[in-house]
Amino acid sequence: MPCPVLSIARWRTPGAAALAAAVASAGLFLAQPAAAAGAVVTTPQVRAELVAHAPEGVAPGKPLQLGLKIEHQPHWHTYWKNPGDSGLPTRFEWTLAAGLAPGDIDWPAPKRLPLGPLMNYGYEGTVLLPVTVQVPAGFAGPALDVRLRADWLVCKDVCIPEGGDFALSVPAQAASAGHAALFAAARAALPQPVPGAQASAEVRDGALVVRVAGLPADWQGRALDLFAETAGVLANAARPETRWDGASWQARVPLDPARSAGPAAMPLVLTTAGRDGGLAVTAAVTTPWPPLPAPGAAAAATAPAPAPAAAVAPLGLGLALALALAGGLLLNLMPCVFPVLSLKLYGFAQHAGARRTLLAGGLAYTAGVVLSFVALAALMLALRAGGEQIGWGFQLQSPAFVAALAVLFALIGLNLAGAFEIGTLLPSAWLGARARHPLADSLLTGVVAVAVASPCTAPFMGASLGFAVTLPAWQALAVFATLGLGMALPYLAACAWPGLSARLPRPGPWMAHFRTLMAFPMFATVVWLVWVLGQQAGIDGAAALLGLLVAVALTAWALGAPALGPRARRGFGVAAVALLAVALAWAVPALRHEATARAVAADERWQPWTAEQVRAALAEGRPVFVDFTAAWCVTCQFNKRTVLDDPEVLRAFDARRVLLLRADWTRRDDAISAELARMGRSGVPVYVLHAPGGAAPVLLGEILTVPGMQRALAALPG
Amino acid sequence: MPRNTLAAALLALAAAATTAQAAPATVGQPAPAFRAVDTGGKTVALADFKGRHVVLEWVNPGCPFVVKHYGSGNLPGTQKEATARGVIWLAINSTAAGHGDHMAPAALAAWMKQHGAGATHTLMDADGTVGRAYGARTTPHMYVIDPSGTLVYAGAIDSKPTANPADIAGATNHVKAALAETLAGKPVTVAQTRPYGCSVKYAPM
Repeated sequence: MPCPVLSIARWRTPGAAALAAAVASAGLFLAQPAAAAGAVVTTPQVRAELVAHAPEGVAPGKPLQLGLKIEHQPHWHTYWKNPGDSGLPTRFEWTLAAGLAPGDIDWPAPKRLPLGPLMNYGYEGTVLLPVTVQVPAGFAGPALDVRLRADWLVCKDVCIPEGGDFALSVPAQAASAGHAALFAAARAALPQPVPGAQASAEVRDGALVVRVAGLPADWQGRALDLFAETAGVLANAARPETRWDGASWQARVPLDPARSAGPAAMPLVLTTAGRDGGLAVTAAVTTPWPPLPAPGAAAAATAPAPAPAAAVAPLGLGLALALALAGGLLLNLMPCVFPVLSLKLYGFAQHAGARRTLLAGGLAYTAGVVLSFVALAALMLALRAGGEQIGWGFQLQSPAFVAALAVLFALIGLNLAGAFEIGTLLPSAWLGARARHPLADSLLTGVVAVAVASPCTAPFMGASLGFAVTLPAWQALAVFATLGLGMALPYLAACAWPGLSARLPRPGPWMAHFRTLMAFPMFATVVWLVWVLGQQAGIDGAAALLGLLVAVALTAWALGAPALGPRARRGFGVAAVALLAVALAWAVPALRHEATARAVAADERWQPWTAEQVRAALAEGRPVFVDFTAAWCVTCQFNKRTVLDDPEVLRAFDARRVLLLRADWTRRDDAISAELARMGRSGVPVYVLHAPGGAAPVLLGEILTVPGMQRALAALPG
Repeated sequence: MPRNTLAAALLALAAAATTAQAAPATVGQPAPAFRAVDTGGKTVALADFKGRHVVLEWVNPGCPFVVKHYGSGNLPGTQKEATARGVIWLAINSTAAGHGDHMAPAALAAWMKQHGAGATHTLMDADGTVGRAYGARTTPHMYVIDPSGTLVYAGAIDSKPTANPADIAGATNHVKAALAETLAGKPVTVAQTRPYGCSVKYAPM
């Protein structure tokens, strides 16, 4: 066995023997003649032996375990699956007869191995790393030949990478039980799952707070230690602060300042002094992780769909600002903004010729748009800083907000259609003020434009906004302000450009028709808002809103219709206001009530998303596709109709046995917000394809295409 | 929108930013300042290189993972390629004076020279001050600092955590990738990885 050429002394005199060290280190991995392989490899630090446990011989359905027994010299150790601050876990590569599938290492519970300010997790003394092997039906032969390549890092205060090739022949007809006690001890040292235990974890003030209930009675009240199987999440050297709350155990462990992972679930091992082994529990992480330095970097690099905004996950501030400006410009083409666009066009026609008025109005409109974006962003950031689980578009998750928007658009539509005149409706003093302050009017138009545009901001700005919420406040607000500037820019340009305003048509009778025509986009918007509200508050909520709209329309007509005489106006007005009061009394509770059934997830192909379902399917080897969506997200609906419901795409999903999950964010949902934050996003749509086998999930672009979807599915392994 | 909401948001975010800076060497935050003596006896401060790209590398010739990357020429090659593009490369040895792996400055300089190292300076940090400020855990443990003094990469030298030099060929060199991006003025895509190697042999505090 060539391994032992490494001596401890060499590592103590590094300057003298550096070159020899390099050669020896290389030789360690190269000079391994297979013919020399036996069951035992001995180095100055460890004695390692390949052992088998087959008490009933090797046959289908009979238990078969293989393992590597490592006996460490005093003070030397090898590592657990999470090695801690340094070190490497021991690795196996098996060569077995066809059809025999060795499982992963059943890692015994580790020990803490402190070294100065650092902490490692591993094993000293004698340890057996066992694997369980399934023997397939049809296995025959006199013996099972086992070959193992094992690599381990053995350390004291110095480290030596070692490895060896092992070979063993396990007789098929005879019992191999010579190491029964060793395997039994390994089973005892294996952390046991606890049926009925409930574990959850939340990130609070830079630490993970874990709560476990339902631990076995004989573990209650004992001092427990905690180990995370996932490396790079918790500060390894920190001792957990633990306490018992009756039967529930709580531990607080600081996060690793150089954290490189933010898993949705934390598999944990709990140990206690004086007992072998430990308990295995998996804590679901219920709060979002603080953003990592490069959110979704690996996923973005492999994103197959052509998605200009989505493919650039970690953006520089400059790029984020540029994208925000472009995104703002594009917002003007989105259906959400179209009704406001109509209003502005009408405004241009009205004011054509008065260039100074136009320019001042344009500036006021820009100010309104920019200020609204900044204000909304500041509110969102403040709520997030206060621990609220919200993201962009959050305002549309409130049924009351949606209803208020619907009322506003119905009123604008009725006004444009001529059902009432604002001049009749409003006190003359207010009207005079408005006429004297057309700038305030333009400013308000800008505010309305932003309120309406918000559901369309996510698709174009997903990456930029996701990035923005991780920035220092002034930078984040700068991104949102730039978004607003981009949106207002075309109007500002049109107002400032004399040639353009001069080319606008002359005012004339056509303006009355144009005005009536513009009422219809408003009503179309109302239809959309009623549908959104229906998703949130059910059919009762939608009916309540429609009833409210009728009462509002009647009131507007009674108080504002130019043709009505004063007496009729008074009579109808009193009746209408009374009706409005009744409608409000009826509608408001219905709008607060949120439907419990999930309308969007009712599709039989699509199941509601939970992190557990994703894990379970991946454990079964099934890929998972998650559609993060919301009823108020227009892009989401577009993608759903054109791509996700496409028969070819559905066939491709079926061919790959992809589990289809839908995370519906129409209403507030903290679990979904947390998952979005974990992916570095703060809004929908987000499309994620998880492949089994531990590869990073792939984030698809926000605008899906059928070929892009097929390519992503074709790229799945297997 | 009430104005006090905006003020509250700004206040909350400012508070969050302040706590984040208290943590040692965080990617995206200013790299901690330090001062150390190099193997030639010259005092070097990070502040001397304001406006330059700086790489920090934790080194210990007694560690087989360091030997993997020096013996194969991987780290010296990366160092030379970087310094040729104007990058400052500081190799830092935080091994305690009493430890078996400790090397005197002259011996360390000779070892680096023998391996064709291209580091701008090799710094002695036997009391571990710099190592602890950066939270350096392993040798090698790599950090990249951009000209504004912001830490833009922290973690492993490459993507294959083994001591086998044969694995270098198929691995992604994270430091080369981070340097290529930050030299081009782009954000670093893979900004934080889990470092691998031997523990840094710190002096007891």
